[in-house]
Amino acid sequence: MKSLSIAIKDLQILFKDRGEVIQLFLLPLLFIIVFSGALGALGGDDEVERLTLPVVDLDGGEAAQSLLAGLDTAGGLRTELYEHANAQAQLEANDINRMLVIPADFTSGTEQGEQVELTLISHPNADLQETEAVRLVIAGVAGELSLESQILASLRQMGDMQANAPEEYQIFTTDRVLAQARSQFELSQTRPLIEVIETIPSKEGEREIVQSIGLVAVSGIAVLFVFGTAQVTARSIYDEKKVGSFRRLLAAPMSKSALLSGKMLPNIIVGLIQFIVIFAFGVFGLKWLGLNAPSLGNEPLSVVLVCFVICLCSTAFGIFIAALARTENQIGGIASLLVWGLGMIGGAFIPIAFLDQFLGPVVKVIPQYWANRALSSLMLRDLGLADVTTEIAALLGFTVLFFLIGLWRFDFD
Amino acid sequence: MPAILEVENLTKKYGDFEAVKGISFSVEEGEVFGLLGPNGAGKTQTISMLTGVIPPTSGSARIAGHDIKSDMNEVKKINGLVPQDLALYPTLSARANLNFFGRIYGLGGNELKERVEDVLRIVALTDRADQKIDEYSGGMKRRVNIAAGLVHQPQLLFLDEPTVGVDPQSRNHIFESVQRLNRERGMSVVYTSHYMEEVELLCNRVAIIDEGKIIAMDTVKNLIGILGGGMIYIGLEEVDDALLEQLTGLGGVKEAMLVPPPVAPPLAEGEDPEKETEPVTSNPIVKIVAENSQQAVVNVISFLNDQDRPLTSLEILEPNLESVFLHLTGKKLRE
Repeated sequence: MKSLSIAIKDLQILFKDRGEVIQLFLLPLLFIIVFSGALGALGGDDEVERLTLPVVDLDGGEAAQSLLAGLDTAGGLRTELYEHANAQAQLEANDINRMLVIPADFTSGTEQGEQVELTLISHPNADLQETEAVRLVIAGVAGELSLESQILASLRQMGDMQANAPEEYQIFTTDRVLAQARSQFELSQTRPLIEVIETIPSKEGEREIVQSIGLVAVSGIAVLFVFGTAQVTARSIYDEKKVGSFRRLLAAPMSKSALLSGKMLPNIIVGLIQFIVIFAFGVFGLKWLGLNAPSLGNEPLSVVLVCFVICLCSTAFGIFIAALARTENQIGGIASLLVWGLGMIGGAFIPIAFLDQFLGPVVKVIPQYWANRALSSLMLRDLGLADVTTEIAALLGFTVLFFLIGLWRFDFD
Repeated sequence: MPAILEVENLTKKYGDFEAVKGISFSVEEGEVFGLLGPNGAGKTQTISMLTGVIPPTSGSARIAGHDIKSDMNEVKKINGLVPQDLALYPTLSARANLNFFGRIYGLGGNELKERVEDVLRIVALTDRADQKIDEYSGGMKRRVNIAAGLVHQPQLLFLDEPTVGVDPQSRNHIFESVQRLNRERGMSVVYTSHYMEEVELLCNRVAIIDEGKIIAMDTVKNLIGILGGGMIYIGLEEVDDALLEQLTGLGGVKEAMLVPPPVAPPLAEGEDPEKETEPVTSNPIVKIVAENSQQAVVNVISFLNDQDRPLTSLEILEPNLESVFLHLTGKKLRE
């Protein structure tokens, strides 16, 4: 109850400070507009020149031909057919930058309504933005083909059933056929038959990249600014010590843990509000502005859970900064380095795969990296909670570490 | 009267530095007790230990029968602390501040509302209670600072230099508030200050504290009585033991002694220790503790005239806590 009183008081103080409110809630939205607009354009079709795309067609069927035609016309790519071994050799020699592999069961699979995978393999030195643009084009054409195949497959299935049924059971009316087509259309939006997998061969094996650059901005900036709240928490503790009210709180009948909890609670609440504001704007506002907008993925509740864990980590980070810094300038310095500096290289504006490639294992010691990885996986790659357990565990690990160091170094005197 | 506060051999150390050196004192219920000493004497450290802000290094204290080490949570309910700093939230109103401090002492609902109104009345700020602290004058802020320490109705109130930086009008108001709380509500008060006038005015008993030690403790009257009729400082060209004896034997003089010459300041880095320096004072100073200052002054001057010993300086100090402190420590309270 006393912790809650401290938290309510801190929130009152925070929301009376217009500058702080602008920095916490409005600045991220501005960043999102700028970066979604600027980076989103890199993934847009208009920017893609007529690139040559080597294709290995292991299928040779009707669906594969449709795909190639689609890529040549609607996609703005010039496809060139290669033998598999030849393409592989040329890719390894970096004579070609990337190749698309159409699997042998592509046509039969799509006809039978089974999920099939197209694989885009790129050389490690290939231009990442260009590869991303190519992937988006393939995904777009495959999406249309997927819808077409799904509807055709279901109509074919209904036709077969119709032909075999006795006359008195001729039940497939126009309404039913339309309803089935509509249902397949909806299904194709959430579970496309044709999935595009992108890989980069490397010494460690193959890594998957399925992120759009522009979409990263929403979750990345949310993580950056929620971790930025740690600075507010650290400054609130510093201010409390500076004006002497911290002494008054220490003299009150409450434990030190209750006092610290009271100082931490506003960080969690503010962080959650930031996520709500930023994601609401990212999902709905960007769409309204005509920009590329992310969704909350297939498991919005998992996104909520991850957001909560990120807020916990940010709060412990605040205590950590408050424990390390002895002056206001030190808070500013440490926060600039740890919150904003590491936040930037932790994936605020850069897709995770790029970070992995450029910074290697270094990024793994940055909490923001794990936060961005978790949100990207859930929101941009449509993965589930089970796929982000490592990221959640890493964030909780950082939370415990920061909190323990914070408590150890915290100067209650 | 039973003691509400009993302190025994309380010590606070920071590494090798001993901020509080084993002090002992007690405060009776309903008493206003003063801790008088210069800045850095250890007053705030002592209060901080007694209110649970910092733990003592050694020693013990009991407040209303509760030990400050084993039963601090109960002690905190009994205590009220008015820190030296303006420990308030400047962007919140006085009422919001008081509500908050009431809530962290477990108050709520109508009880909290009544207590807040009550303390606002005590510090005469009811009319401006909804104004932000930022918009208050220094004196008004000090009054809210005191109100915040009173909102939970403590039995023992610690006031740590409550009048620093306050205009005379607000200072008088603070004095009146403390006297009224003590007189009408029987609140016991520990009042620290380096202003001897405040302590003389408010406190029943005073402990004079310097460099972490209590060097004298008694009622104000008895402390001033140490000096009897005050002190006289005279500067002479030459002083010897025989002269001091003769001065001590004069009527109205209680004691005459040579004031030790001031310690030379430490050498600056690179300064030659052999280099000759100008003495801080050229003439020796004799301190005379008077039983009757008027009689002593007349007798001392006549005697020195008869002896043909010219005076180089003369200072007469009235008997008060300031001169008591000077007498006991050789330092001024506000050096």
